[in-house]
Amino acid sequence: MSTPISRAMFLRGLAGCGIAVLVSKTYMEWSHPSPKFPCRLLGPSKEIGHLLRNHNVQETGKPTTTTSTRVTIVGGGMGGLSAGWWLKKHGVDDFVILDLEQDVGGNSSCGKNDIGQYPWGAHYVPICNPESVYVRQFFEELGIIQGHNDAGLNIYDELMLCHEPQERLWKDGSFHDGLVPKRGLQKDELEEIARFFKTVVDYRNATGGDGKLAFAIPLDLSSQDPKYLALDKISMEQWLDDNNFRTKPLRWYVNYCCRDDYGSTLTNVSAWAGIHYFAGRRGVAANSEPNSVITWPQGNGFLVEKLKGILSKQIQIGSLVTKVSQEDSRVNTTVMDSKTRAYRAISSDFVIFAAPRFVGARVIANQKFSHSQHLSYAPWMVANISLKNLPDARGLAPAWDNVSYYSDSLGYVMANHQEITTRSKPNVITYYYPLSENDPKVSRQALYTANPEEWSQRIVADLQKMHPTIANEIISMDLWPWGHGMIRPSVGFIWGDVRKQMKDRDGNIVFAHSDMSGMSNFEEAQYHGVEAAKTVLAGLSSG
Amino acid sequence: MTYALLITAFVISTCGLVYELIAGTIASYLLGDSITQFSTVIGVYLFSMGIGSFLSRYVEKNVAFTFVQVELLIGLVGGSSASLLFLLFEHVDNFRILLYSLVSIIGILIGLEIPLLMRILKERLDFKELVSQVFTFDYIGALLASLLFPLILVPYLGLIRTSFLFGLFNLGVAIWTIHLFREQLPWKNSLRTTAYALVIALVCGFAFADKLTGIAEASAYPDPVIYSTNTPYQRIVITGSTKDLRLFLNGNLQFSSRDEYRYHEALVHPAMASMNNPQDILVLGGGDGLAVRELLKYPSVRSITLVDLDKRMIDLFKEQVLLTRLNGGSLNDPKVSVIINDAFVWLRSVPKKFDLAIVDFPDPSNYSLGKLYSDTFYKSLKAALKPDGMVVVQSTSPYYAKNSFWCVDKTLASVGFHTTPYHAYVPSFGDWGYVIGSLAPFKPADEKRYPPGLRYVSDATVAQMLCFAKDMLPTVSSVNRLNNQALVHLFESEWSEYVDAH
Ligand SMILES: Cc1cc2nc3c(=O)[nH]c(=O)nc-3n(C[C@H](O)[C@H](O)[C@H](O)COP(=O)(O)OP(=O)(O)OC[C@H]3O[C@@H](n4cnc5c(N)ncnc54)[C@H](O)[C@@H]3O)c2cc1C
Repeated sequence: MSTPISRAMFLRGLAGCGIAVLVSKTYMEWSHPSPKFPCRLLGPSKEIGHLLRNHNVQETGKPTTTTSTRVTIVGGGMGGLSAGWWLKKHGVDDFVILDLEQDVGGNSSCGKNDIGQYPWGAHYVPICNPESVYVRQFFEELGIIQGHNDAGLNIYDELMLCHEPQERLWKDGSFHDGLVPKRGLQKDELEEIARFFKTVVDYRNATGGDGKLAFAIPLDLSSQDPKYLALDKISMEQWLDDNNFRTKPLRWYVNYCCRDDYGSTLTNVSAWAGIHYFAGRRGVAANSEPNSVITWPQGNGFLVEKLKGILSKQIQIGSLVTKVSQEDSRVNTTVMDSKTRAYRAISSDFVIFAAPRFVGARVIANQKFSHSQHLSYAPWMVANISLKNLPDARGLAPAWDNVSYYSDSLGYVMANHQEITTRSKPNVITYYYPLSENDPKVSRQALYTANPEEWSQRIVADLQKMHPTIANEIISMDLWPWGHGMIRPSVGFIWGDVRKQMKDRDGNIVFAHSDMSGMSNFEEAQYHGVEAAKTVLAGLSSG
Repeated sequence: MTYALLITAFVISTCGLVYELIAGTIASYLLGDSITQFSTVIGVYLFSMGIGSFLSRYVEKNVAFTFVQVELLIGLVGGSSASLLFLLFEHVDNFRILLYSLVSIIGILIGLEIPLLMRILKERLDFKELVSQVFTFDYIGALLASLLFPLILVPYLGLIRTSFLFGLFNLGVAIWTIHLFREQLPWKNSLRTTAYALVIALVCGFAFADKLTGIAEASAYPDPVIYSTNTPYQRIVITGSTKDLRLFLNGNLQFSSRDEYRYHEALVHPAMASMNNPQDILVLGGGDGLAVRELLKYPSVRSITLVDLDKRMIDLFKEQVLLTRLNGGSLNDPKVSVIINDAFVWLRSVPKKFDLAIVDFPDPSNYSLGKLYSDTFYKSLKAALKPDGMVVVQSTSPYYAKNSFWCVDKTLASVGFHTTPYHAYVPSFGDWGYVIGSLAPFKPADEKRYPPGLRYVSDATVAQMLCFAKDMLPTVSSVNRLNNQALVHLFESEWSEYVDAH
């Protein structure tokens, strides 16, 4: 009766197991088809932008009409709009703001559907530092800052201060409070995290030999003490190594922050920029914790809408600037109407160039700045996903910002977090994914070549790690690829020569874009916008 | 027959590993820290298997009989393990004791299986073959389980169904063994009957896995449920016995008809009676119309504006006879206008000013409710009052959740109200708290001003209500803001302490 098992049988048994698993998995997938939902690919007009590069529109476009203004602002992002805001505040009305898109806002634009509004890019601003005077002025004007308490601290509109719970992190099967990993950490890991925060707080309070803050917002106000500038010459990774910050949860967190703010990893971001993220923010308020943030359902689109209201007479949308050239102290701007493709020209005393700097290389005739090829931009994918309901997950209730320790993405932001309704209703989540692993050129290719189905599947699979049943809840998904999402503060860029040259005015062309800072955020964009406007105002009054 | 038994080795080892994975996964779901949970579960499990193997030596005769019994037990315990862990998590004091007992029981039983099986097979194979074959099947089974579990079982069946399914496999093995050894087994018929009964139980568990949580809910109500519905905002359940009608929203008791008069009289009259000629009243929440019933006792009242989120709830309390009997049809009174809206949203654009606002929201048990207790909310409320207006806010229990209660008081004070905290004893709730916020200092009414026919509130009881014992005084103090949700944090920790202690 004894029947020994032959090797063949053993192997057959193993193979049988494998096949059984495969067959049943295929069957299950077949019998539970992944739910279908509409998925649209939106995004900044790639076509129009590519017109600039591919068809030499600079040469072909013959303007049929010419108008004249005192100032032309090229680009209606935060930088351009802020320049307009400042000009108008100081009595100059005779200017135009040109943007190639059908709406202004650039990286701070937003969208809207039946459920509500949501951001396409920028979605928050930290409460402002004492030195961020333009930001404070702007916030006071909009009523975001409602007044001051006896100690002089700003009182913010509470509906805009990010409501609690602000952040949660998915780790080890449930969500915990905050984004710094907490659950299941070893003693040395916890100690290292504490030491890290102590180090950055020291940097936050530090001033250089020139008496200036080591890390200021806007960054151009920072100390020029070589001790701090040296940090720009090494990568954040190098700095972590040098300071013996080695444990995984901490490095995960710091890398997360670099990707979140700069779309770029530890290896690429300079230590100066990496530390600036933590040490730069010194905002305090009368009615919130230090370093809080303000946010709106439509993200920084809220600020755009306010500026649009102020600048409605000046804004011209659907206006692609194809050429900017200078003759006899006038600057001529050639504009193509994106619908009719007709060309017109605008002659002005000054141009504030607030489009990204790599665009400048293509449209500014005989440009002084010759380092455009050194500019490096991080590509991003943003998705807005409408959900019937966000599935419950273990641990902390949904927060404003929801992140997974196990994902390449930055997680999602709840667009309706600031609402004051108690209704449980459909909501929109904004999913952020910086393509930071590869060289930006390679990633940009990947961003554009994958089709919407592939992207939506990837995103759903990623979200399923936190919410296994989320696919059944999706009403629709819209995708927004940002090919040149934000400039990267790579090693040596912020305090190197390229950026220095890039800020210089070129005759009567003055530059105002967050690119000029080497890092992209509202405060930097606004600073360069206002500074450019100031330069122009000075030029107008002397000329 | 030998093959049949070897296949058995394969099945039981698959089941065994699946139970271990289920326990590890649930433990890390519920307790967090997957590394610790998995390694302790595996450790306890393997050690228990050792105990099981050791115990197998005491099985002297009729090995097949014991084997069948072991299989039946594994089927039962292993099969229901996931649902047991999930359902009891909320109810046991120390979940780890439950977890590790369950893991040990399953481990011991699994540890018995293979030695028993080998002894059954002993007569049929020589030793070398026996060991090699049984362990080969055992390990292949383990491989299968480890692949099936993450790839198919968890994503498609979920943990509860998976555990029932594998329980059924163990029962299958039991039934199969009964069949093979039908000649030698004692108690054959009762074994078989038990096996089939267990099969039916597990099949039901499998089929109704989704309902299991629902069953747990129903058992939470002491009285028969006479009405239940899901509205877009909440689950409304009304239970009734001969003397008592109770309303539950999302499982939380809102009132019991036996003593709701205490709650609502205390909510309305101390503020109302103290006012000179109150005419326009605002009620936020309180869609049951019970506070409105009390308000209508004052002839000076000209208008009552009730703002509630849930139209279904309002309709219920306007139309259902049982309920209109309780609220005296108050919602159908011509002075009452009902507005279906979110209180906070509506308040930010109020068309008129009120003498008194009665705020009767559910307790601040989640973040969206917490916003309705924030300083920002109270600022909007204050803006909707006439110059000497008042608000009264139901503010949870100053006994069970004293810091939460005083947080409401502090928050109202922070926006410039004079606050008067008070509390009343409502048997079905316990000691319950309210805070009056007034724009001028509050003075309790004298006896004449209370409307006739009150059963609880009088000038004497109000004097008592204003008095707080030492054990109700706060130990922390904070203002509830949208950006700190201090109240929700306090409320969660205070009530969970109380629930744990129970
Ligand atoms: C995914 C993502 C998330 C972000 N999140 C945040 C955040 O949360 N907080 C934050 O502060 N910042 C965030 N940022 C950074 C954001 O870039 C800045 O806040 C800010 O919006 C930058 O404004 P800008 O004016 O410098 O640039 P842009 O927004 O790039 O504006 C440039 C404008 O120029 C226009 N333009 C370009 N070429 C031409 C042409 N030839 N003719 C006419 N018009 C042209 C473009 O259409 C665009 O409107 C985020 C960025 C991205 C990509």
